[in-house]
Amino acid sequence: MALQRGAVDAAGFASDIVLAPLDAWDRVAASFRSRSALQDDVLRLQQENRVLKGQAQRLASLLAENARYKTLLNSAREIEDELIAAQITSLSPDPARHVVMLDKGAADGIEAGQPVLGAEGLIGQISLAGEYNSRAVLITDSAHALPVQINRSGLRAIAEGSGAIDRLVIRHLAATTDIRVGDLLVTSGLGGRFPHGYPVARVTDVDISPGDAFAVVSAAPSSALDRGRHVLVVERAPELPTAGSP
Amino acid sequence: MNRAHAIWVIYASLGCALLLMLLPLPMDWRFIRPDIATLALYYWVLALPHRVGVATAFTVGVMQDLIEGAPLGLSSPGLMLATLLLLFNYQRIRQFDLLQQSLMMLVLLILSAGVEQWLRNGIDVPAASWGGLLGLFCSMLCWIPLRSALRHSRRYYEVY
Repeated sequence: MALQRGAVDAAGFASDIVLAPLDAWDRVAASFRSRSALQDDVLRLQQENRVLKGQAQRLASLLAENARYKTLLNSAREIEDELIAAQITSLSPDPARHVVMLDKGAADGIEAGQPVLGAEGLIGQISLAGEYNSRAVLITDSAHALPVQINRSGLRAIAEGSGAIDRLVIRHLAATTDIRVGDLLVTSGLGGRFPHGYPVARVTDVDISPGDAFAVVSAAPSSALDRGRHVLVVERAPELPTAGSP
Repeated sequence: MNRAHAIWVIYASLGCALLLMLLPLPMDWRFIRPDIATLALYYWVLALPHRVGVATAFTVGVMQDLIEGAPLGLSSPGLMLATLLLLFNYQRIRQFDLLQQSLMMLVLLILSAGVEQWLRNGIDVPAASWGGLLGLFCSMLCWIPLRSALRHSRRYYEVY
C-alpha cells in the first residue's frame, strides 16, 4: 500500500515531466490571448456570477429555514461540506479504466474515499491518495457503482458505471417502477460514502422489455467527464461525537 | 562472456518508453496507444539476450502497473512468458525479415496482453474490450521504426 502511494506520486511527477512542454505552450498561448476575448470572458463570468449570487441568496434563506425546521424536529444539524479545489493532470494510460490523476494529495487533506465533484455534479471518488498527487476513479468506470435516488420520486437505486464515458446503468429496477426519461439522479447518501443530494446523472433511456422482470435504465452523467480540468474534492465532514464515545 | 558496456542505454530507453505511456490522449482513444515499453523490452531481449531477460521483463511489468495504477503484478506474468519464448527462439527470430518480425511481435503482444486480460478477469479488474486488439495492431506497426531507432542507439553507444 505504501509502495502504491509512493507510486502515485512518482507517476504524478513523471506525468508532470512529460506534460511540461504542453503546459508551457498553453501558458504562452494564454499570455497572447486577445483583449476582446478576455473582455468577453469577463462579461460572461460577471453574468454567471450575478445569476449564481441570486441563487445563493435563496440558498442562504433556505438553509436557515431548513436548520430551523431541523432544530424544531430535534435532529442533528447537517454539517456543510468543505471543498478542496484540484486539477486533473492526466488520465490513466489503461484504456479499460476511467481513472484520473489529481494534483492534490494527502498533504492538502485528500484521503481515499472522498467524493470528487465536477462543474455540474458528482464525477467520482478518490481511490488512492499519495502525498502530493492522488488518483480518482470516475463514476463511469466499470468497476464503480454508487447509491443514487431519483430526485422526483425519491426512489433509491444503484447506478453502475458502464465503461463508456457518457453512460451509467441501473439494473434490477422492477419493470413497473416509476422512472422516466429526464429524471435527475442524485446521491442518496446511503452507504455513508457520498453525502446526500449531489446531482449525478440524468435518465436518458428506460428499456422495459415485456419478457423481463427488470427494466434497464441508462443515464448520462450531469458533468461531462471527459471535459474540463477543474474538480472539487469534498472533505469529509467531521463526525459528530456520539453519546457513547469518550 | 565479455564485460558489460554502456548497458545504461538499455535502462534509459526502457525508462523513456515507460514515460511515453503517460502522453495524453483523448479518453476514448487511449486504446490505440502503441505499447512502446513492451516493444522496447522485446527488442533488447532479441538483441542482447544475455543482458535482458525474465527479471527485466518482471521489472518492466511492475513499472507499467505502477504507472497505470493497476494492482501490482498484472502485467509481469505475460511479459515474462513472452520474454521466455523470445529467449528460446531469438536466434530464429533474428533471421526473419522485418515483416515477419512484426508479425512475430504481434503474436508476442497478443500473448502478453492475453495473459494480462485473463488475470484481470480473475480478480475483477475491468478488462479491455476487443478494441484493444487494434491497439496491439498499432503497436505492431511501431516495431519497424522502433527497432531501427534502438538498433542505431545500440550501435552508436556500443552496448553489449
